[in-house]
Amino acid sequence: MNNVAKYVAALSLLLTQTLFASSVLANDTGLPNDPFRSVMWKSIADRFFTDGPIVFDDRVRVIAPSHAEDQFHVPITVDASALNNVRQIVAVADLNPIPHILTVRPEQAMSFVGFRVKLQQSSPIHVGVQTEDGVWHIGGAYVDAAGGGCTAPAAMHGTENWMDTLGITRTIARRSVFDHARMTVKMRHPMDTGLAAGIPAFYMNELKISDTSGGLVAEVDLFEPVSENPTLTLLPKMLSAEATQLKVNARDTEGNVYGFMLDVPAAAQ
Amino acid sequence: MKQNFAWLAFAGTLALSGAGTATAADVTIDDLMNDQASTENVLTYGLGPRAQRFSPLDTLNKDNIKNLFPVWSFSFGGEKQRGQESQPLIHDGVMYVTGSYSRMWAIDIATGDELWQYDARLPEGILPCCDVVNRGAAILGDKVFFGTLDAKMVALDAKTGKVVWRKTIGDYKAGYSYTAAPLIVPTEAHGPIVVTGNSGGEFGIVGAVEARNPDTGDLVWSRPTIEGHMGTLNGEESTMTGTKNETWAGDLWQNGGGATWLGGTYDPDVKMLFFGTGNPAPWNSHLRPGDNKWTSSRIALDPETGEVAWGYQTTPHDGWDYDGVNEFIAFDMEKDGETIKAGATADRNGFFYVLDRTNGDFISGAPFVQDISWAEGIDENGRPIFVPENRPGNPAESADGKKGESIFAVPSFLGGKNWMPMAYSTKTDLFYIPSNEWGMDIWNEPITYKKGAAYLGAGFTIRPLFDDYIGSLKAMDPVTGKVKWEYRNQAPLWGGVLTTGGGLVFTGTPEGYLKAFDDETGEELWKFQTGTGIVSSPITWEQDGEQYVAIVTGWGGAVPLWGGEVAKVVSYLNQGGSVWVFKVPEQLASR
Repeated sequence: MNNVAKYVAALSLLLTQTLFASSVLANDTGLPNDPFRSVMWKSIADRFFTDGPIVFDDRVRVIAPSHAEDQFHVPITVDASALNNVRQIVAVADLNPIPHILTVRPEQAMSFVGFRVKLQQSSPIHVGVQTEDGVWHIGGAYVDAAGGGCTAPAAMHGTENWMDTLGITRTIARRSVFDHARMTVKMRHPMDTGLAAGIPAFYMNELKISDTSGGLVAEVDLFEPVSENPTLTLLPKMLSAEATQLKVNARDTEGNVYGFMLDVPAAAQ
Repeated sequence: MKQNFAWLAFAGTLALSGAGTATAADVTIDDLMNDQASTENVLTYGLGPRAQRFSPLDTLNKDNIKNLFPVWSFSFGGEKQRGQESQPLIHDGVMYVTGSYSRMWAIDIATGDELWQYDARLPEGILPCCDVVNRGAAILGDKVFFGTLDAKMVALDAKTGKVVWRKTIGDYKAGYSYTAAPLIVPTEAHGPIVVTGNSGGEFGIVGAVEARNPDTGDLVWSRPTIEGHMGTLNGEESTMTGTKNETWAGDLWQNGGGATWLGGTYDPDVKMLFFGTGNPAPWNSHLRPGDNKWTSSRIALDPETGEVAWGYQTTPHDGWDYDGVNEFIAFDMEKDGETIKAGATADRNGFFYVLDRTNGDFISGAPFVQDISWAEGIDENGRPIFVPENRPGNPAESADGKKGESIFAVPSFLGGKNWMPMAYSTKTDLFYIPSNEWGMDIWNEPITYKKGAAYLGAGFTIRPLFDDYIGSLKAMDPVTGKVKWEYRNQAPLWGGVLTTGGGLVFTGTPEGYLKAFDDETGEELWKFQTGTGIVSSPITWEQDGEQYVAIVTGWGGAVPLWGGEVAKVVSYLNQGGSVWVFKVPEQLASR
């Protein structure tokens, strides 16, 4: 039962050791120097971290393996819960053919997201957390990976009736503290990038979590690099200690719609 | 540390609804009904709801057609090619064109640049009988609509190509698929409806016509084509089609075919939908005594309710796969000083029919191909005069019970005319019919229905009638039933026809040429080699004062899959997948 917790604990042993440079302008790009020395940094910043000043900030913790066991499923955890008033979290794999992994808008959730990503080659991961004042707080990690994560067919295509299993979901919600729950959603979906030969892009692209009164908890835009059978962990904020429910709605690029309720237990005494 | 857990497992796909928001450039239902007269766009399959494929444009004419040159060509790309039978739509400077394997593109006409591409994610195990084609899209409001090979209807945002809704027409595992262009028509009760047929007559599916709400995809009504099956209206059972067992003995009507795989037409004047219905299943007619209504027929439906207004069966008790889906084109016929509200159709069975479109009454039936063998003609009631010995023999009467007597029938099962749409000129009052001169050896075998398996009970091979040609484009006078001129083509014709106010008739050939003919004489005036076979329907429109012509190219369709001895004249043809756009260059326009 504690497998998830054990896995995360094991991961934390593999934390990339990164030192963040201070946000001084030491080049002619108008951008702070990238501690990961990504050749794509200016391009990534111009494309994804727009309309606000950019600072590297060690309150944006990006936890990733230094060497990926499996380039199709690289676990990444973004913990920016030390930041308040967060508008959005944008995660990018610089050297992927399609860099944008996901965007989270944590309306009534902690500034935190866990997911798995496909990597086409070793790559810096940049995560921008934009606060309400417009400032982009950047963190990142560098992951060494074997090639080809984005251009191979999904594993589920080996079975004849894979389409019948679309959207089959496993979820878990638990609560060790009063003020938030930890929920993980895993849905069956090939998350085809469109880059494998003869297979068009087909992926889960919208996921929304709301509370029992319809209030928005968090919205996630997913893109092609998110791993097959997308697995997302979020930390919804909880207003009371009582057991409650959350509603999850998702949609893929073919217009298939998935929806279910998730039980959240009462806070532990 | 104590933790509380809650697990949940769930599977499900829910229905989605979307609502459109109107902008100035959105297409209205009036625009669709007025499509034939409005020359600056092509908003419907067939250049108008009647699908006459006539454009009044006369900028391009018999004199200046020699100056027609390509503007751009756009490749569909990918590793999958096969047959391209699509007719593009043109709206507001954008072309919407579909391709093989359920793909669609939006292209900027001024530059030929791609705006977006949509690739349907098809499941493994789709069962299209006769190539992975698509014939075109429909447009209304801010959406474009098309059907996919796994028997789904998809509505896309016309600006972005993103899916707005997607609905199931039938179970692809049971043999349902979809290849026709959807039809959008007005109703009093439901507003505009998106009307579709279905495909799968070789797998024992049940043909149907369905109407959907364009904003949500929700079903408004459905009408099965086979007697004994129930229709629906507003989510409830409505009426039975025909009377159970009236023209079908036994229970074979339950998997009776009658697929509406070519879609339909609409006449705003009499406010009726016209759909052709396909072959009865199985092909072996000895297993299903009776006329087998409404297979191999034309049916007129009330768009408000989906009720059958009238039916006319071109091949009762079809035993040759004379799969009568062919388009029924409304036109006003001047005869003996009277104007008759008529409609015409050129059937797979080789006869060209003129009916009264208000009630389905038979007016005339004339052969449009040579040496028809299965019937001597059409009697005064519109019923074929069968040649009994030209029906394939009953296998039950053969010595071993496994193979009935083989006969040579004309036309072949690929038809005097197959899917490729003819055109009607309001300038010449002639129909231009893309036809083929061929026959077949055909014999019957025992067969039983099995879900998802071919349901034929017949073997066959096709043979050309003449050494030097199969394809034959004919100008047919609907008043006299006489052919005014003919153009002969070595390979079978498999593309649609367009005719214009400028006196031109356009069609493509499998040899790769887009050709233009004189509408009065049939003289070939112009041709252009596109580099791969043409099996699609040309269009024309006016943009910035210039007349454009476009054609989709890419060899394929049913001929290379089924062609028998015909394969000899087509086996060297190469596949492709492009759309070509032509106009008269500015420096030549004044000449």
